[in-house]
Amino acid sequence: MSIAVPTGGAVAAPPPPEPEPVPVNYLNNGYSIWSWLFTVDHKRIGLLYLVSISVFFALGGLFAALVRTNLLSPTGAILSEDAYNRAFTAHGVLMLFFFLIPAVPGVFGNFFIPMMIGAKDLAFPKLNLASWYVFMVGAMCAAWAVLVGGIDTGWTLYPPYSSRASQAAVVPGVLGAFISGFSSIMTGLNIMVTVHKMRAPGMTWGRLPLFVWALYATSLIQLLATPVVAITLVLLMAERMMGIGIFDPSIGGDPVLFQHLFWFYSHPAVYIMILPGMGVVSEILTCFSRKNIFGYSAVAWSSAGIAVVGFLLWAHHMFVAGISFYAAMLFSLLSMLVAVPSAIKMFNWTATLYRGSITFHAPMLLSIGFLVLFTIGGLTGLFLATLGTDIHLHDTYFVVAHFHFVMVGGMVLAYMAAVHFWWPKMTGRMYSDFWSRLSAVIIIVGFFFTFIPQFVAGYYGMPRRYPNYPAELQWLNVMSTAGSSVLGLGYLMPAIYLPLSFFTGKRATANPWSATGLEWQTPSPPHVHNFDTTPVVVCGPYEYSLGVDQQGRTLPPPPNETNAEPDAQKEANGG
Amino acid sequence: MSDPHNTTPTADDPHGVRKDLDGTGLLLVVFVAVLGLALANVGISMKMGPTKYTLVVQMAIATVQAGLVAYYFMHLRHGDKVVILTALSSLFWMGILFVLFMADYLTRFWVVG
Repeated sequence: MSIAVPTGGAVAAPPPPEPEPVPVNYLNNGYSIWSWLFTVDHKRIGLLYLVSISVFFALGGLFAALVRTNLLSPTGAILSEDAYNRAFTAHGVLMLFFFLIPAVPGVFGNFFIPMMIGAKDLAFPKLNLASWYVFMVGAMCAAWAVLVGGIDTGWTLYPPYSSRASQAAVVPGVLGAFISGFSSIMTGLNIMVTVHKMRAPGMTWGRLPLFVWALYATSLIQLLATPVVAITLVLLMAERMMGIGIFDPSIGGDPVLFQHLFWFYSHPAVYIMILPGMGVVSEILTCFSRKNIFGYSAVAWSSAGIAVVGFLLWAHHMFVAGISFYAAMLFSLLSMLVAVPSAIKMFNWTATLYRGSITFHAPMLLSIGFLVLFTIGGLTGLFLATLGTDIHLHDTYFVVAHFHFVMVGGMVLAYMAAVHFWWPKMTGRMYSDFWSRLSAVIIIVGFFFTFIPQFVAGYYGMPRRYPNYPAELQWLNVMSTAGSSVLGLGYLMPAIYLPLSFFTGKRATANPWSATGLEWQTPSPPHVHNFDTTPVVVCGPYEYSLGVDQQGRTLPPPPNETNAEPDAQKEANGG
Repeated sequence: MSDPHNTTPTADDPHGVRKDLDGTGLLLVVFVAVLGLALANVGISMKMGPTKYTLVVQMAIATVQAGLVAYYFMHLRHGDKVVILTALSSLFWMGILFVLFMADYLTRFWVVG
């Protein structure tokens, strides 16, 4: 990586003065509802996504609470068996299609990709707004499905049950997933074009923040995989509504074909969810350990590696579905391959932390939680990718625990870390350090108590998606439900102190974490067009050892003592 | 291939992109061609009936249709190298889908051992 910063006796450019708070920023540039609903400002659209997905996350969490409460009793505590089916399906559909997939690209990709590369906006601002509207139309279809009784197929929508037998609102639910897929494609396209075409002078590919690399790899998957599931869902609707035999064997179809097509998207979709989280963690670990990332190129290219290899292993979801034995062996082998780029990232993150000057603010605590939980999630994936053990563990709670370790322990923690890391930039306010650290600890502890018992229950053979289970497994389920209550409390706390900070929090400086990226070189909250003048990038994204930002200017002091502006300045700003 | 984005603005074309747009006539011709191929596909299929060649003919016609749509309507003819590369990579990805599908379908009835 080329570094044009003067070193060896020469002095880097002095630290920039704290930028004057601008009278008009993206938040106060219009207060009417229309100024938000018709905005083409990438930052406002990011906030639209933030509000929307927070609602869906809360709803999805509510359905999870129903499921966990029902599992307190071996015979089902509160729900009928049919209602239980609908509850876990609603949880899956809401969390996957309307939270996990759009979370980081929709909120932080939209908000920060242009700022990180020194651009005014995304390449297609109107397409960006359209993507949010399309996402909301998809969400409304899903809400329609829930309001008319819900779906009972599970989020995987396997035919022939979904296309022939189910009496539930399958079509509106499928339509919701189908439509929201277009939003995903639009966001991916926008991010890819922006990264190619709108980088500031000096922002070479080797100087891109790793978050941008991760979002770029994610966009590649969104563009290439989403159309496949869109077509599959159309075929499913055609079979259900018109009786065209595609997947239903009783009318000449092949149900395994659906599983192939569905997982060709849905396994890479796991990487759509986790890759952005990996990008977030790369940003935070370097910042809060005050060290350059270890092995920048390896971490960057491993994102691309995960995106490519992630397409080659979908059929490990189908080992017991009747696929060829030889194909199963091939997919088992290919599944092991994805451990390589994932392990590269993990080793490099660990090496980054080694002998770093670590501070444990909430984003860092959540990121360290990500490292631990994602590692457990990844390693338990090996049991499921191995043919022999998968036959025992397939469709048990072991799979549920593995998936949640990766998606909740990994992705949701990374998302929460991103919210805490960039909140001061987005809102111009600092949140409570104490409550945020406490919340991070509660989330991690609650998570362990929720999902570790599920590994054990799964190993003992408790099937997923069943409302009933043997009485001897009740203590594990009670522990899991108790843990989920703690986890819910941990999630509830940011929902209180973050919005509260917007009104009562101390004003944030432009660079409260003393981070190196371009997004920290603008006032908090940023200008409407991000930068007064186009920034010129002179060095890599994580020059913490040199103590300079990407424009070669000395960093402000790290956030050990104070990250609020001096009282005198606060008074001068009328705050 | 030249970069279509390096264009010169003029008074009636402030963004310098209008000269790159296809004429309405050309787009109409392509549209009619795609429709004609669709009709031909239906007609040939009805004429041939369900023989072992019918699917091959149908897929061949559909491929030509898709090519026309990509080249004209999706503006690949004006695309720079990155756009062409992206389009080709999508074909490569489709190849992955088919090859690994076939790894299952072609070996499903092989006897183990």
